[in-house]
Amino acid sequence: MGEVLVITSGKGGVGKTTATANIGTGLALMGKKIVMVDTDIGLRNLDVVMGLENRIVYDIVDVVQGNCRLKQALIKDKRFENMYLLPAAQTKDKTAVSEEQMKNLSDNLKTEFDYIVIDCPAGIEQGFKNAIAGAEKAVVVTTPEVSAVRDADRIVGLLESSGLREPKLIINRIRPQMVKKGDMMSMEDIIEILAVDLLGVVPDDESVVVSTNRGEPAVMDKASRAGQAFRNISQRITGEEIPLMNLEANSGWLEKIKRWVTKS
Amino acid sequence: MKEMLDTALSSENTILIQKTLRSGQSIKHSGNVVILGDVNPGAEVVAGGHVVVMGAVRGMVHAGAFGDENATVTAFCLNPIQLRICNYITRIPDGNHPEPTEPETARIINQGIVIENISLQGNRLF
Repeated sequence: MGEVLVITSGKGGVGKTTATANIGTGLALMGKKIVMVDTDIGLRNLDVVMGLENRIVYDIVDVVQGNCRLKQALIKDKRFENMYLLPAAQTKDKTAVSEEQMKNLSDNLKTEFDYIVIDCPAGIEQGFKNAIAGAEKAVVVTTPEVSAVRDADRIVGLLESSGLREPKLIINRIRPQMVKKGDMMSMEDIIEILAVDLLGVVPDDESVVVSTNRGEPAVMDKASRAGQAFRNISQRITGEEIPLMNLEANSGWLEKIKRWVTKS
Repeated sequence: MKEMLDTALSSENTILIQKTLRSGQSIKHSGNVVILGDVNPGAEVVAGGHVVVMGAVRGMVHAGAFGDENATVTAFCLNPIQLRICNYITRIPDGNHPEPTEPETARIINQGIVIENISLQGNRLF
């Protein structure tokens, strides 16, 4: 029996879709059989980030309305045999599926896959309610900004009142240099406000922009710092104990020289 | 080309769309569809007959959607995410490809969708 995980945030643009793509791919890298479900009907993105846009024939709305079988709508990834995507519809809206239908869909997928990773839309309306309807665990993504943390707090409250207790937190796009100078909220500040368990911290990384535009998640890039953070997060989801990565240490020797030069 | 335009023009069931179709917008029509504008990624056109786009196709176009194997898709810049004619589906190959700079037509030839360069030079119809 698989596990249903919803990636949510409340605020838009904090990296839900990026996190979904990377966690999904990270789990697939570990050999798990996974499916990613895009519930952002009308504003779908996960297919683009995964580079699978041109393979879509049927979508989630076709499945719940019975226009096709579930298997027909699942898109097999071009890199991993054990990874699938269930895309959202683009020409419909959030009311095209109901919470009950999402619950049934999750139950069906659970029998086939180890992990079902649901990409939630921004907001707290119907789309959010649909996304969390079938979920058993929730991951809240936030960035170190007051507005994003405020929205994340609202989401944690809503998740708890709909029975999703103990959501896990991902802090995305943190910049250690700015935190050091006191210009950015630190990990500790955010955890103190939200009071939830930390699943991982992802450093701000330009390589994410490049990989997102290319349709190849950053986890597949061995050199990417954000990719490493997402690999760690994926491992923690499977229950492994992985320590938080040291955000200060830049891995490349070139970086070390650069820092040494700028210091002197 | 001439044949195609003849059949397209002789059919009365043709609609003219005078705008660019943006992501999420879709046109469904039982006959031919002519678009004066672009079809952006995420937009879709489903037509029972031919589709002519006086602009760029970057979204999804389905011509002959109700079983017409002779339907064609023509555009100034034919660069769709996915192209469907009758019950054939094709997509651009993975990787980077330059956008076409000349008008092209897609049609079914030998059970596959083929895209041909069209040139109107020396073939003026009016």
